[in-house]
Amino acid sequence: MTEPTAGGIFGKDLLDRCISCGFCLPACPTYELTGDEASSPRGRITLMRALETGHLDDGDPTLVEQASFCLGCRSCETVCPAGVEYGALLEQWRDHQWRGMRRPWLARVLMAVVRRAWLLRLQGLVRRHARARAREGSPALLLGCVERGLYPEVSRAVRRLRPEVTAPAGQGCCGALHAHNGDSASGAELAREIGARLPGRIVTTAGGCAAHLSAHLGRDRVKELSEYLVEVGHLPLGEVRVGGRRTRVALQDSCHLRNGMGVTRQPRELIGAVADYVELPNAGTCCGAAGTYSVLRPEDSRTVLAPKLAAIEEAGVDYVVAVNPGCLRQLRQGLRARGSRVRALHLVELLYMAEGSTGPRE
Amino acid sequence: MTALPRRIRDELVAIVGAANVRTERGDLTPYARDATPLFHAYPDAVVFPGTTAEVAEILKLATAHGIPVTPRGAGTNLCAATVPEAGGIVLVLTRLNRILEVSGDELLARVEPGVTTARLADAAEAAGLCYAPDPGSRTASTVGGNVATCAGGLRGLKYGVTRNYVLGLTAVLPTGEIIRTGGRLWKDVAGYDLTRLLTGSEGTLAVITEITVALLPKPSHSGTGVGYFRSLADSGRAVTAVIAAGIVPATLEFLDEKCIDAVERFAHLGLRSDAGALLLFGDDGDGEMVTVHLARIAEICGAAGALDVTLAGSVARAEALLAARRCSLPALSRLGSLTILEDATVPRPRLAEMVDRIDDIAARHDLLIATFGHAGDGNLHPTCVLDPDDTDAVQRAHKAFAEIFAGAVELDGTITGEHGVGAAKRPYLADRIGTDQLALLRRVKNAFDPAGILNPGKLGS
Ligand SMILES: Cc1cc2nc3c(=O)[nH]c(=O)nc-3n(C[C@H](O)[C@H](O)[C@H](O)COP(=O)(O)OP(=O)(O)OC[C@H]3O[C@@H](n4cnc5c(N)ncnc54)[C@H](O)[C@@H]3O)c2cc1C
Ligand code: SF4
Ligand code: SF4
Repeated sequence: MTEPTAGGIFGKDLLDRCISCGFCLPACPTYELTGDEASSPRGRITLMRALETGHLDDGDPTLVEQASFCLGCRSCETVCPAGVEYGALLEQWRDHQWRGMRRPWLARVLMAVVRRAWLLRLQGLVRRHARARAREGSPALLLGCVERGLYPEVSRAVRRLRPEVTAPAGQGCCGALHAHNGDSASGAELAREIGARLPGRIVTTAGGCAAHLSAHLGRDRVKELSEYLVEVGHLPLGEVRVGGRRTRVALQDSCHLRNGMGVTRQPRELIGAVADYVELPNAGTCCGAAGTYSVLRPEDSRTVLAPKLAAIEEAGVDYVVAVNPGCLRQLRQGLRARGSRVRALHLVELLYMAEGSTGPRE
Repeated sequence: MTALPRRIRDELVAIVGAANVRTERGDLTPYARDATPLFHAYPDAVVFPGTTAEVAEILKLATAHGIPVTPRGAGTNLCAATVPEAGGIVLVLTRLNRILEVSGDELLARVEPGVTTARLADAAEAAGLCYAPDPGSRTASTVGGNVATCAGGLRGLKYGVTRNYVLGLTAVLPTGEIIRTGGRLWKDVAGYDLTRLLTGSEGTLAVITEITVALLPKPSHSGTGVGYFRSLADSGRAVTAVIAAGIVPATLEFLDEKCIDAVERFAHLGLRSDAGALLLFGDDGDGEMVTVHLARIAEICGAAGALDVTLAGSVARAEALLAARRCSLPALSRLGSLTILEDATVPRPRLAEMVDRIDDIAARHDLLIATFGHAGDGNLHPTCVLDPDDTDAVQRAHKAFAEIFAGAVELDGTITGEHGVGAAKRPYLADRIGTDQLALLRRVKNAFDPAGILNPGKLGS
């Protein structure tokens, strides 16, 4: 046993907020899987309290396991009557639990990679994401680390739909990755650096980045794409059709966009403008991508995803739309592995496809 | 780490499999408490059975070795009923979570105990039916927990509580026998009514592994209104007049002045600041009847001196009105991190008098106790909010609640209307039921559980 910790790990007010009512249990995907209080939000808070008071030391296997098993989806926050900021508690927990070499090695590798700005730039050269110099007064597009490598077409589509949005080079990582993996200090620092490099409003196509940046730079400065489009009164043109009918399109919410920023209406409205919108019964629950979770705990990640894929197939849709690159990757891989005919798209790709059906915008 | 002999652990593993037995300190920690503040005790093991037969094997083993067993559903009870004071095994029933049947022909459903109340209600609704008991914790609480605590809810006056809907149970006795009480029948007087005895027995007599509940046809319409009154006494007069007029509304909820204040500061709903009581009323049934009832209630409120009465014309509007009640706990919980939510209950006509007493007791002990609750059935939720580090205030709160319970009993009421006795209300039980009844209760307990292993000590057992 390592020496007992004597507190100071958690903000006292944050931990004291929880009244242990248990309302969060049914909202939690990991509790849904296990029925075990230890993998519920309330149980995890009880564990955090035991860590804080020294009743459990940080080498305790349950603490180690539960800090990692949690998806960090923050679904628990939306049903909590006492306003517990679970996301903030989880960051503090992992800061302690995963300090230094205790962090999963894969997380360490990823965090190191995204801190090398030149590597990110290299990705861009190879994969041709959007580039456009900053302009005074115009909002800047955040080129997310995952997206610019995996889905460069996403940023290009944004630029075509909204030419006023610039895509300046020399961006780094927003720091969400670090904050969620036990290094919230770097997370905050990186967010502030982005804030300095992109001094005006920031638009992002990643719900996860949006929530992290807005927590550090202020809600007003950061807009997730769908939120931005609705706010500027973007009129989606055209429609997406297959086989002579409008397509049926479902949405997978981004957890941090929904639970952290409360944005749910906008992506649905935009989809509904160019296709027949279909609400999945579990659109709001985590898809299991959960940042680095799909890489760190692939098996659990797939277990969380499975009912989602079943619901997508059941709904008889042509496309399922994501508003976060991690979710997009998760859905694409899952649907492909199932041999599904449904395709996953980023919201902006859908809108761009629709506009393509009408000829160029005036 | 654990006090459980290795041999017993091995036997438990042989019954349910290694993945369903936990004995590590970290795994036990979340089971050292439930939703009740200030109660804490570690079990020696947590076991997750998957079938009735496994439950029976576990209980036989526990009886043979004198190991305490505490059944647990979602752990949302507010009387420390699942805190394993005597150590031993916490028996978690969440793996038994299948809805076995919903029958529109027979108006009943059969479920395993780990199904949440909301899931049962949703399944009933999907079949055009309604499961009436609606405890505030319904999204999280389990049907097994509801039966074991005889949970109430917002619609108690018109629809009754959980006991009015339990038709039959499958239960495992501490000695391992599996019994089936009642069944699919509305009429059945063969033997003692053990279904009712087990309902509200707080896991002290048997472990429930299957439940048959009665369902109702789903009402086609519902409506809501709200009235502001100068005082709780005024709103109490309105409630009495409504019922005297032959109307038994589904919902009659009140907030006292301190609650209104807290809710308004928290949620800015535009509640009237000059009101001493807010009365939320609602009814369901066929459309015309609902409209007639609501209009009549509004009229009666006006006659009783309401400052203002509003009827919700739309669902959205009704939601807005209900928000005040929904926000009560959130608003109060933010005033201090220790929230003690109680449920003293008095006959309906004594409600205003009881709230006066609570206010008086709170003032004498220098505490913030706000009260909301069910005006229709006299079930009050005096809620004390304080700082847990202020040990003096915590002591004062204990004294204040002892006085509140004594006050309720004096007014022909009870120490708990729906939350249960558990460990938290044990000191007050004899005052309510008397020593003869308490002795009988213990003899009943002994008949079911000769080794005294099942949730020992809870409910005065
Ligand atoms: C914010 C809040 C609001 C609430 N509102 C209400 C309300 O409106 N009305 C109301 O009545 N209650 C209310 N409660 C209290 C609580 O939710 C109920 O008592 C509920 O019935 C408990 O269900 P559970 O599944 O959480 O049971 P648990 O808390 O796990 O257990 C409760 C008791 O049942 C026993 N038990 C559980 N399952 C079984 C089983 N299968 N066999 C035998 N014994 C078993 C346990 O041993 C224990 O004694 C509220 C609680 C909270 C936190
Ligand atoms: S809902 Fe909120 S207050 Fe209740 S147990 Fe969960 S985190 Fe704690
Ligand atoms: S963040 Fe998600 S997985 Fe973690 S406790 Fe909350 S609801 Fe459960």
